Amino acid sequence: MTYQARKTVVSLGTYCLILLYFTLRLLGMQQAGGLDSDKVFRLWLIVIAASILVTVTATILSNIVYAIVEVIKTQQKPTFIEDERDEFIKLRGDRVGYIISSAGIFGAMLSFVLGQSALVMFTGLIAAGLLGQIAGDIYRLVLYRRGS
Amino acid sequence: MGQTNVSNDIRTLRFLHGEMTQQQLAEKVGVTRQTIGAIEKEAYAPSLELAFRIAHVFGKPLEEVFSYKAEQDPIFMDSSMQQEEQDGEK
Repeated sequence: MTYQARKTVVSLGTYCLILLYFTLRLLGMQQAGGLDSDKVFRLWLIVIAASILVTVTATILSNIVYAIVEVIKTQQKPTFIEDERDEFIKLRGDRVGYIISSAGIFGAMLSFVLGQSALVMFTGLIAAGLLGQIAGDIYRLVLYRRGS
Repeated sequence: MGQTNVSNDIRTLRFLHGEMTQQQLAEKVGVTRQTIGAIEKEAYAPSLELAFRIAHVFGKPLEEVFSYKAEQDPIFMDSSMQQEEQDGEK
């Protein structure tokens, strides 16, 4: 597995955990009597902060672990190569991510137009962002696994 | 990404150059082993710069390492079919 493929796996795992946390918190709010603006916006902040901090931390930790394992295995300094194919796969994944996010954002805004509350729309917006990121990562992994 | 219209003789050339491994070639041209594998399988068409680098490693001109299958390119397939139709009408 290349450096970039491993980074994609870490990103996918991180965003899946964040989505799981987001869904569980939303279900908790629903059971407690519906969406509350304070709680929804706090959840927004937590999700955005976690997306940045957890992803960066997880990437750094995975690189450290990989470097240690490589040094033990090969007795050589590990290389972190990112080549043109990685860039190409990244762009293809980004495109899928943007399509999914855009569809989700459109759906969230449409729900507002159709009479749902603004909180539902904001919840939909953050969910669309998370799902777009996850879809992009899955597509990147498919391209890496396919060897293309 | 599928199959590309750019074929190559990298596998043969590696064999003729002291059975060079994909990893060794990858290190020489500054990419990952997986990228060399994808190029060999014709699943990925390299950039012009990378193609030149690979040809340089083998000491060959670009056209002796890579070749372009125009007859399988959908763009030219369409135009050649149109040409044939026009010729048929005449």
